[in-house]
Amino acid sequence: MKYFVVAGESEREVVLEERDGGYLVTVGGRAFEVEASEGANPDDLVVRISGRVLSASFEGEEEEVRVGIDGESRPVRIEDERERAAHEAEAGASAGPRLVRSPMPGFVVAVLVAEGEAVRADQTLLILEAMKMQNEIRAPSAGRVERLHVRPGETVGSAAALATIAPLPP
Amino acid sequence: MPTIATVFRKVLVANRGEIALRVLRTCRELGIPTVAVYSEADRGALHARAADEAVLLGPAPPRESYLRIDRLIEVARETGAEAVHPGYGFLAENAGFAARCEEERLVFVGPPSKAMRAMGDKLSARRAMEKAKVPFVPGTVEPLADARAAAAAAERFGYPVALKAAAGGGGKGIRVVRDPSGLEGAFRTGSGEAAGAFGDGRLYLEKYLEAPRHVEVQILADAHGRCVALGERECTIQRRHQKLIEETPSPALDEATRRAMEETAVRAATAVGYVNAGTVEFLLQEGRFYFLEMNTRLQVEHPVTEFVTGLDLVAEQLRIAAGGKLPFPPGGVKRRGHAIEVRVNAEDPDAGFVPSTGVVRDLRLPSGPWVRVDSALFAGQEVTLHYDPILAKVIVWAPTRPEAIARMERALGELHVGGVRTGAPLALAVLRDPRFRAGDFDTHFLERFDPPRDPARDEIASVLAAVWRHRKRSRGAGRAEHADGLSPWTLLGRGDRQRRVRP
Repeated sequence: MKYFVVAGESEREVVLEERDGGYLVTVGGRAFEVEASEGANPDDLVVRISGRVLSASFEGEEEEVRVGIDGESRPVRIEDERERAAHEAEAGASAGPRLVRSPMPGFVVAVLVAEGEAVRADQTLLILEAMKMQNEIRAPSAGRVERLHVRPGETVGSAAALATIAPLPP
Repeated sequence: MPTIATVFRKVLVANRGEIALRVLRTCRELGIPTVAVYSEADRGALHARAADEAVLLGPAPPRESYLRIDRLIEVARETGAEAVHPGYGFLAENAGFAARCEEERLVFVGPPSKAMRAMGDKLSARRAMEKAKVPFVPGTVEPLADARAAAAAAERFGYPVALKAAAGGGGKGIRVVRDPSGLEGAFRTGSGEAAGAFGDGRLYLEKYLEAPRHVEVQILADAHGRCVALGERECTIQRRHQKLIEETPSPALDEATRRAMEETAVRAATAVGYVNAGTVEFLLQEGRFYFLEMNTRLQVEHPVTEFVTGLDLVAEQLRIAAGGKLPFPPGGVKRRGHAIEVRVNAEDPDAGFVPSTGVVRDLRLPSGPWVRVDSALFAGQEVTLHYDPILAKVIVWAPTRPEAIARMERALGELHVGGVRTGAPLALAVLRDPRFRAGDFDTHFLERFDPPRDPARDEIASVLAAVWRHRKRSRGAGRAEHADGLSPWTLLGRGDRQRRVRP
């Protein structure tokens, strides 16, 4: 099984074979023998790799996972060959309206722009309060506010749609 | 002298999380029965389980639970508590609450409401410091009427300036403004945040120091006129005024400056008639220090002082509140070795430190020689947006600073908090940075800090991610053999999980 894995700045091709109840994993011309068993949860593993036994924690779904080892935690993107092909096919999309999403769950304190209003890049669109701090949510690029998805007083989840910014006609 | 337990037959802890648990632990050691309070979101919380009695305050939002003064007074009366420990945050620096306790003949374990008012209002504090000849950062000593007045003051003291909440503290409501164009927006959001957080939107302005360090002095004052300094804490590693790493002693102070800072701190506390534990914060730049504010409460980072002095500051707070005298010899309190604290905050350092929420799982806390963990975390706990992001603190002690850094590196390597992001991995990267190790940093260190990537670790993570994905896929294939694709147990478990994570 071949996977394309992005961790840190580089993408790696990782080839995995099942072997003797464990795994033989090859990356960048190096082979790792890995044994794994379930830890506290099915998603958390106790692994033997390169002469070490360590606890590894995994959080995520399918292609996006966060790997926690030795007190560190890093986001990893992983796709198989079929997923890779599907994503390459999608990548032809043109630059249309941009959706501004909430970077965190929070409470909408104020909305500072109106629908139809032209905005500068980096202009504050609304103020979101979370854990007692007020955060300014800014426009990712210049454009026109096509739609506001929230009103003051609303509670929003992480990645919730806040506003749609349409590009200005050239 | 009667023991503290005979003076207070019961203590109510008006807080939650790690600090409530920390206070309850000392009470238990002193033999004082305790009352915990909790919100609906904290029904199973560790602090509620650690007290002799626990009383429900109300729904999760702090205004409906932990900030309800009437309800807390009622609970104290109903349970027969004789003293209230406020912890930090919530009502700890609310002079109205302290005054109400005084009226109700409940002992507030903290300073008199009068001293709290004098220091709590940053403007009256600046005026008091002016009188006591304590140096402070140049700026206004009266509130700014509006954005236009702020602009005028900014011209007078010169950009960059800091807009601060008169009722503020702990970094809330602070806005740094570098040029006139940013002033109006900063005034509006700063004032809004201050009004929301403190019910008081007044702002003042001071000259913004470009590259200061943040160093603070712990003091203890009894009701018999004695006030001692217990050394400093270096709190320069912070971001948006939220501290990440604290240590004592500060690598930036020589013995003469330390002594001068301690004397100034005692003078500042004495000037407002301070009693109980408090912290005088200073900015230090080019060998000169300036009074910033006084925190009239137990600080989050108090354990580093406890490690080097051998004291239990909560026990000292209770002793002072019970009318006891400070027991220290005239030479003051000896300090030994070096202590470091790392805060484990629910935030995502990879996404601009946005608050992180979730259900805690796969929790592994460090231990071993000279490691202290103040935590109220448990697996299955839901981290919500209602409360402060401090989940836990890891504190270590060693004879010297390099040994303490090595020990903290070791301890953080053992830490894992699943289900929510924390700033702990970033703290680990800071500990490994040569400038941090050399003690060479200012308050901008963290915002400019770019943790180095380690390709070898990225490679291991890639290998393990492939193993994880492969196993997940095989597991999914196994489950699909059921006629309906899912066993009843899976469905039951899934429903339970969904209920737990719904806000």
